[in-house]
Amino acid sequence: MGHRIGLACIIDDDSMYVNLVKKIVEVKNLCRNLMVFQNGMDAFNYFEAILTNLDKKAIPEIIFLDLNMPIMDGWEFLENFTKIKNKLGKTITLYIVSSSINPVDIERAKTINTVKDYLIKPVTIEDLEAIFLKQTL
Amino acid sequence: MLKKELFNVVAKDFNSGYWELCDDSQKEIWSKKFYESLGYMKEEVRPTIDYFLEYLIHEDDTSVFRDNFLNYKNNSIDFRQHIKILAKEGKYKLYRCATNDELPVDIKSEVNFIFFSEVKLEPEQATTKDNFYYKETAQMTSTGSWYVDFEEKKSYWDFETRRILEYPDDYIPSLRDSTNYYTEDSRQQAASLFFNCAMAGTPFNTEIKMVTAKKRVFWVKAIGKPVYNKNKEIIGVRGVFQDIDEIKRKELRLRKSIDIIASQNSRLFNFAHIVSHNLRSHTSNLSLLVQLIEDIDNIEEKIAFIKDVKQISCSLNTTIEHLNEIVAIHTNKSQKKKPVKFQDAYNLVVNGIGQMIVMSNAQINVDFKNLNTINYIPAYLESILLNLITNAIKYKHPDRDPILEIKTYCLDDNEYLRISDNGRGIDMKLFKDKIFGMYKTFHYNEDAVGIGLFLTKNQVESLDGKITVESEVNVGTTFIIEF
Repeated sequence: MGHRIGLACIIDDDSMYVNLVKKIVEVKNLCRNLMVFQNGMDAFNYFEAILTNLDKKAIPEIIFLDLNMPIMDGWEFLENFTKIKNKLGKTITLYIVSSSINPVDIERAKTINTVKDYLIKPVTIEDLEAIFLKQTL
Repeated sequence: MLKKELFNVVAKDFNSGYWELCDDSQKEIWSKKFYESLGYMKEEVRPTIDYFLEYLIHEDDTSVFRDNFLNYKNNSIDFRQHIKILAKEGKYKLYRCATNDELPVDIKSEVNFIFFSEVKLEPEQATTKDNFYYKETAQMTSTGSWYVDFEEKKSYWDFETRRILEYPDDYIPSLRDSTNYYTEDSRQQAASLFFNCAMAGTPFNTEIKMVTAKKRVFWVKAIGKPVYNKNKEIIGVRGVFQDIDEIKRKELRLRKSIDIIASQNSRLFNFAHIVSHNLRSHTSNLSLLVQLIEDIDNIEEKIAFIKDVKQISCSLNTTIEHLNEIVAIHTNKSQKKKPVKFQDAYNLVVNGIGQMIVMSNAQINVDFKNLNTINYIPAYLESILLNLITNAIKYKHPDRDPILEIKTYCLDDNEYLRISDNGRGIDMKLFKDKIFGMYKTFHYNEDAVGIGLFLTKNQVESLDGKITVESEVNVGTTFIIEF
């Protein structure tokens, strides 16, 4: 067993979902800190800002990204994020977590290298545990 | 027997031969006139259908006549047809044969008769019997022939070409007038097909729109091929025009229905995804919540989650209401359109949101004088106005009071409604494709739901209209609806 994950990130506009995941993370003690962005734009602005003062502690090890969001959706975030992720100097594992079961979305996600996997909501507590555990190995 | 006598009189007047059909299938009674007309003596032929089919009728007509005859005899199905019968002199004569129904007088007979009257060809037609068939074929299939003679520099039309193009019988066609025979948009096509045929000898077979002398536009199948002389030079173009207007229009209607079905299908598909996605996000939350409740041992914490159940059920209801609204648009399509005054619809809307207008200090300038009434579903027009006006006010520019310009007008036979505002605008580069999507919001407004424009677009499109948007950040947004 390695260390416990320090920082995870959720990008999702569904506050109910976010609260539930927060609760699970807390109950299961999956990571020390969890940051939440309500849309892709907020998240991207955050990562762009980090580039100027590379504080590695402020960079999450894992991102859960929703697709359907206002202002900047998951696809646009991925497009922008892919351009800057190598400059962050830290491996970030990114999962898409969406309630879309549209095969078009799933196929499209497969073509993007940045995406580790496509999780279809509802995710289970076991799924989340497994993902966090894998990250620490 | 009175009927029989009456019939005899009529049959004599009719000057024709006939057969009287007997129940005994081996024998018919052939009338005296029938023998006379063909020149046979009674003893020379046997009056049975079998003999007739074997020796007298022309082989081209045998099978059709046999079927007609048996159908008539066994099932009383009337018929008429032209047949050729071998006469005593060794030549075939053309007859028109018909059953009781075809009698000039209304006589109901218990006995089945078939009448035969000789078709006398006009002297000039008599040269070839084919001419008769050609005329019949031309008329029955609405197919006219034409010929353009390059040596004589003349064009010829037959009677049927004149008929389908509605020109008088003495009309003389000419290449010089030929542009008048086609609609404006098909002249180029006609000209290039014709000259390709005349110059390169390329035959053509196409569907094209023509114009009659009475300016009626109709669809024609035009077929043409070059005519060569002995030296293999093209000396003319010969072809036919067939009136296929009815078929073509049906085909076009069919194609239109297919387009409509395809677009409805894609909308349905889209809708299925929306339904699936929107409902799934709530059910996923519910399932995650249940897992969490099961996973936690502390009873008080478990109870604390009940408020979340309540909230999810609340959101689920809202989503279902939204979905219902969309379904309603497509089922309400059959709702009656009726003339609606823009001013009336506008007044209704403004009364409903008076508070909002006053609070925001909005100024709305309306101009319905170019187009004051439209044939539409009143509820839709109100909903469209409501959505666009409230949007303009909700997303007003932070530094200025909202000013709206609402105008209706006509352009190229189409009717338009334009609503412009001086609000904060939408970044078209980022959101162009998403403006009318469901649950798409572009501003950080708390009360943005992302359903209004989606509904508006669905309403407009369900009545075969179009909605477009132009916008510039910090300048304003303009929506244009083409009804």
